Amino acid sequence: MNPPVSVTTRRLHSPVFPVSMLVLVLLPLLLLPLAAVFIFAFRGGAVAFLAALKAPDAQFALRFSIVMAFATAAVNAVIGTFAAYVLSKYSFRGKRPLNIVVNLPVAIPTVVVGTSLLLLWGPIGLLGRLLEPLGLQPMFTPAGVLLAHLFVTFPYMLGAVKPLLDELETTYEEAAYTIGASRWQTFWHVILPALRGGIFSGTLLTFAHSLGEFGATVMVSGNLRLRTQTAPLYIFAQFEAGNIAGANAVAAVLAVLSFVIFFFLLRYAVRPTRAS
Amino acid sequence: MVFKRKALLRRVRALAPILFLGVLLLYGLWPWLPLPGRPPQPQTVVFYGFSILGEVMNKGIFPAFQKEWAARTGQRVEFISSFSGSGTVRNQLIMGVPAHLALLSLELDAQQLAQARVIPPESWRKLPHQGVVNRTPFVILVRQGNTRGVRDFADLTRPGVGLVHPDPLTSGGANWAIVAEYGAGTRQNGGRPEAGRQLLAGIWANVVAQAGSARAGRTQFENGFGDALITYEQELLYDLGRGKLKGEIIYPHSTIQSEHTLVVVGRNVGPRDRQVVEAFRDFLWSEQAQKIFVEYGYRSVDEGLNATNPHFGKISDLFSIADFGGWTKAKKEIVDGIWKKQVLAKLKR
Repeated sequence: MNPPVSVTTRRLHSPVFPVSMLVLVLLPLLLLPLAAVFIFAFRGGAVAFLAALKAPDAQFALRFSIVMAFATAAVNAVIGTFAAYVLSKYSFRGKRPLNIVVNLPVAIPTVVVGTSLLLLWGPIGLLGRLLEPLGLQPMFTPAGVLLAHLFVTFPYMLGAVKPLLDELETTYEEAAYTIGASRWQTFWHVILPALRGGIFSGTLLTFAHSLGEFGATVMVSGNLRLRTQTAPLYIFAQFEAGNIAGANAVAAVLAVLSFVIFFFLLRYAVRPTRAS
Repeated sequence: MVFKRKALLRRVRALAPILFLGVLLLYGLWPWLPLPGRPPQPQTVVFYGFSILGEVMNKGIFPAFQKEWAARTGQRVEFISSFSGSGTVRNQLIMGVPAHLALLSLELDAQQLAQARVIPPESWRKLPHQGVVNRTPFVILVRQGNTRGVRDFADLTRPGVGLVHPDPLTSGGANWAIVAEYGAGTRQNGGRPEAGRQLLAGIWANVVAQAGSARAGRTQFENGFGDALITYEQELLYDLGRGKLKGEIIYPHSTIQSEHTLVVVGRNVGPRDRQVVEAFRDFLWSEQAQKIFVEYGYRSVDEGLNATNPHFGKISDLFSIADFGGWTKAKKEIVDGIWKKQVLAKLKR
């Protein structure tokens, strides 16, 4: 760990000093906290770790989070791609403001998202008040969690797909039209294949964020054990209740899942797509 | 051959994410897949409780009732539960969470639920013991060895003693603790309100960490914050009984006994679950359930059962909220009037 001063003086551009400095800085910021999760998770041995994971509410929380992440990714893959298509291929009045609105969820604190969903759909909310007599209540149900996750992750799909659409040569489309393809056929056979990489990475990003979403979920879910408690909420609830082993086991699993997803993202999605 | 293997490898690599996601999805959906041989959906009771109730309900009361209900009707009943600060539970109920029953730390939260028209006014008073399911006095937890020499609330005002205290905004326990501190001050000084205010001010000058619930405060204390914690006796007795308590319990000369109120949220109970919800409500006051509460460190509403737990401490001057005119008055005069407007304002918190 000693910075090799002699090397730096001899070769001005030696990477050793800056790299070791960077690692030193990153150690407490990124690396050690992550290591702590795993060290703590396995402190009681693998048996205790598995026992903590096997708790019915831990199992439910993990499964529920995974299902929610799939549902969010599936819905936003469709709506997000459609939004990207419209915003990229059409010009219309109000396009700029619309562009800003669809990207807004990046900037809004997730707790605010949760609050606004409650104030819209909740039992005392603007629309929720009208739904209540009908026996419909999206908040504090899985539907509420899905609504929150769709909101929070909306821009990811757009961000991954729209740049590809913007750069896509119009000549391919025009060629398709000239041989008599309809708008839908052109989209399905020409545009969509070119977007594959973008859709894949956008979906994975959406999935990963949904898996870890906390701020909005804690507001809209009611934090109901075995009904709406997602894995991050489980971690928080167990930690607060002093069950650090239980919290940590689930945290370790979430961390591994996000590593795998991130690995896929790097390995498969960044490769040049066929269009370029 | 070599080429083929390479191609195969490439295929496997390309399919890896899809395979991984497929397995993940299958794992996620597994309990909800309509496979043959799965038991039909059970009846459900949705129960919300204040923070320290988690263990006794999940490990003691729920399983006991499930057994009893299965023996009586042959049906399976499932419990869905959530535990957090009493004020948090109250706010969640006002926002419309689908709870059938809620066990609140203090009656004040029930009154506020009635004000928000979640439940009919005073509906809990028609239940046995006016809705009170169990009780527990407020005590002080200090670190092993009691190096600060804490013997009573007054010792917590000494400079250098750091205190973890739950936050009365969301914690029922914190409200009880404030009345306990104020009440101890007045009762040990001939009923002078000024003495109560002084004790409260002295204690709060030493608060180093505030938590959202009694349980969260306990976690903070165990993670190393402060020298002392004011909390429910039960919260400590449960661990004491299992030999897991980290620290020593100090019984103040004068302290309050909290009373925990049950509310039934009728509007959330559908016709399918009404019978089981009502049976569970009544079960909470049964001798079987009250014995479980005692075993877990709560003091039963049935005084005769309290002799069975040898760990219950002796308190010379145990008072109740009725001694301060009930929660409506105590909240207005003590928690808001004295603690918030005078003590906190002076401490500039």
